[in-house]
Amino acid sequence: MDLENQTRIKELVEKVGKENVVVILGGAEAEASGLAAETVTTGDPTFAGPLTGVQLELPVYHILELKDIVPEDVWEDQISMMEMVLDVDDIIKEVTTYRTQNGG
Amino acid sequence: MTNPVVKAASYCLFHAPDMVLTHGTTLTMERAKNPDSPLFEQVQKGLRPFEGVVAYPPNQVYIGNIDPDELAQIPQPWYENLAEPKRQGKLGEIFPMDEFIAMMKIVDAFELVLIEDNFAKAVIERLQSHPLFTDEDFAILAKTQAIDEINGLLDKKTAVPLEFEGKVVGCVKRAHEYDVNLSADIMFENLAAKAGGVLSLRHLLWNNDIDPATVDYIIETSEEAAGDMNQRGGGNFAKSIGEKCGCINATGSDTRSFCAGPAHSVINATGLVKSGIYKNVVVVAGGATAKLGMNSRDHVKKEVPVLEDCMGGFALLIGADDGVNPIIRTDAIGRHRVGTGSSPQAVTTALVTDPLQAAGLSITDVDKFSVEMQNPEITVPAGAGDVPLANYKMIAALGVKQGSLERTEINSFVEEHGLKGWAPTQGHIPSGVPFVGFAREGLLNGTLKRVMIVGKGSLFLARLTNLFDGVSFIMEPNSGKGSSTTVTAEKMVTVGVTLLGSEHGVEEVVRGAELAQRKHRNIKVVAIGPKGSTSLPVVEANTEEEQRSAMENLLRTGEIDACVTMHYNFPLGVTTIGRVMAPATGREMLIASTTGMSAGNRTEAMHKNAILGVAVAKGLGIEDPEVGILNVDGALTTERSLRDLEKEGYAINWAASGRADGQAVMRGNDALTGACDVLVTDSLTGNILVKMLSALNTGGSIESVGYGYGPGVGEGYKQIVNIVSRASGAPVIAGAVEFAADMANAKLPELVEAELTKAKLIKAEAADGVQKPPAKPVDQEITGIDVLEIEDATEALWKENIYAEAGMGCTGPVVMVAPEDLEVAMAKLKELGFLGE
Repeated sequence: MDLENQTRIKELVEKVGKENVVVILGGAEAEASGLAAETVTTGDPTFAGPLTGVQLELPVYHILELKDIVPEDVWEDQISMMEMVLDVDDIIKEVTTYRTQNGG
Repeated sequence: MTNPVVKAASYCLFHAPDMVLTHGTTLTMERAKNPDSPLFEQVQKGLRPFEGVVAYPPNQVYIGNIDPDELAQIPQPWYENLAEPKRQGKLGEIFPMDEFIAMMKIVDAFELVLIEDNFAKAVIERLQSHPLFTDEDFAILAKTQAIDEINGLLDKKTAVPLEFEGKVVGCVKRAHEYDVNLSADIMFENLAAKAGGVLSLRHLLWNNDIDPATVDYIIETSEEAAGDMNQRGGGNFAKSIGEKCGCINATGSDTRSFCAGPAHSVINATGLVKSGIYKNVVVVAGGATAKLGMNSRDHVKKEVPVLEDCMGGFALLIGADDGVNPIIRTDAIGRHRVGTGSSPQAVTTALVTDPLQAAGLSITDVDKFSVEMQNPEITVPAGAGDVPLANYKMIAALGVKQGSLERTEINSFVEEHGLKGWAPTQGHIPSGVPFVGFAREGLLNGTLKRVMIVGKGSLFLARLTNLFDGVSFIMEPNSGKGSSTTVTAEKMVTVGVTLLGSEHGVEEVVRGAELAQRKHRNIKVVAIGPKGSTSLPVVEANTEEEQRSAMENLLRTGEIDACVTMHYNFPLGVTTIGRVMAPATGREMLIASTTGMSAGNRTEAMHKNAILGVAVAKGLGIEDPEVGILNVDGALTTERSLRDLEKEGYAINWAASGRADGQAVMRGNDALTGACDVLVTDSLTGNILVKMLSALNTGGSIESVGYGYGPGVGEGYKQIVNIVSRASGAPVIAGAVEFAADMANAKLPELVEAELTKAKLIKAEAADGVQKPPAKPVDQEITGIDVLEIEDATEALWKENIYAEAGMGCTGPVVMVAPEDLEVAMAKLKELGFLGE
């Protein structure tokens, strides 16, 4: 995950507490989404960013998992096309792995 | 208004393995954080040799040797299924690291790039015959520094190293003590971008025979920022590149929009051409050192070679409609607007389906889309996926949403309308434009009917906006109806040089031809002779006979505009006007004439020579040349007849002899001082003069100074053939090439016709009404006819319906006929008494 984003998430958690933070990913690819999910749960696996060794254990979802709670017209405008393009099952599987590893 | 067309495209790669380690940000960041990181060694090990880079299939696609559709057939990983390693391609070239460093030195205008002696010597020697490097470049490269001095600057940290094969061979100095925008690292990055731009533009001009002087505007579109601390990003890469490419009539500016920059630039160029503001606009970019090895961490982890070892560059020429080249439609430009939003479907709608709708088309009407053409072998191991594939799927999915495609057709649409990515991950380089060269070719030969180029950019990287960006344009074949300008107007002049026949061997002629190519970027030199003797383009001919017919063919078809040759028989009435440098003053002087005969009668010939000499002088830009007559037999008669001509209204600017009398009759002394622009003489004396003045310093066996015996001129003669002698050395041959090119540019045959008409020398048709038989190639010489009877002999053959030309051979006058007519012609001439038994 981008180092700037790691910093922002870390600061946000410090400010509002981890119980008030949910991470929603929009990555287009399973592996990258999995890495992002790992970063905000068990820490930065690349050992490059500020979340290295920081276990935030935040609840993390990919937007493709949240179709039910997104208003239909917004989904249609923003996501429906990519839903056709992306490997939805792979992405969800990857993100779910890290979420369940952390009991989220 | 004219339609903008894509006239030419070039793509170059610059192998830079050492710069991956010294200037790629992945490695420089690592060095700052963790100087002992194992990554340096891992990356070093993962780098490929130059041969592997050249043979890498995606790189072969980039320079045009492999078609993108063929790439899809080569099994991956491509780094294990290598192609034929050709560094030159139809559309570009792959340059090794040392040549690129040399170009960084060549483009440096502020003595910031230092290179050491041994490195410079080796690279100068190798580049001698490279068509994109000039003598001027070699003079810059020859200014070297001692390695101790370079190391001293590196120790003081006032410079950064230029490394080649792991060894320091030079450095780039900082341009200011405190200004971070002029630091050594930034200057390195900017000079690398400039060097890549210069090589790409030089390749475009050379590979497509474009005269650099015809470029009106240059848009540079890399991702670097040139400027000091008071104007970071002030520019202007464009003009600095044009300066190093001979684009003396161009101005220019830089256009930026991250990866979308090139597509924006092409659209800007089409606007400038369409409006008529400029006729020829170049879009050019060099590469980015920062992105070298960007994903190398992932590559070494996944045991993939470090594939980001090359910078990319490209140049495109957008020009006014020539009735031939593919057009860029200006009524269907796609653009991501400020209000478009950043969801993928909003972006794809704005860039792809909106412009198609404006043109009344649907996505299936486009044969090929060129999107972000990143090589998937680089991006997939780094977790960024197959970028072109994702883009094609998005276009297809949008098509499904809009009802122009069935959901089940997504995959077949991608396969049919998409392309495998081949471009290096250099930001601006992959963005749509790598396909423009192939698109131009496909639209020209009819294999493609419509192509869409899409450029996209991520503006958040500058931390000024979260807006996305992108533009697109459509290319289509030229209908041929809208041609408003002639194509040839901005063509570079092509001059042929025949290689065989010199007393100094083929090597000396090759040296002369190559010297001319290096000296004159606005001339394309083509060799005619045996293959394998030069790096110049060669039209094969293995005997002098073959050479002559190849030359005549190339002149007839217009493949060459002029030719330099030796021992050539001109028809009678055609004579050559030589050009020498007067040894006492260095002043240039034309000698009229030096071979051939303008007329059979001596004084008539000298009278004509004066007029022909004036025509050639005008071709050299001397509007009112001074004419003198060499004091040979017939000089005074010639002067009298010319003074008579003056009375009839033909003005002559008479020269004055340097001798006490100051007359128009020139003495030997005047030949040494160059006292006139045109020295009129009989052709045999003129021939001796050229030989003496050209071989003055060599003891005689080799002619080393001047421009040779000049172009053949005479009534009705349409070719430009410049003569050199079998004793002419390389400098004279190079001079003759320049002279011939000047004559082609000046349209010499038209000047000659005009001058002869003014001087009332254009003959009426043959008085007794003898009709010339249809012309055919003549290469058989009949010698032994008296010079005074040569025209009558020719006409006598015409009467017998045998096509013949009177000519001047090396040893005297000849009548030339076709091989099949030789026997009959000889018999006839004997019968009529023109020839002895």
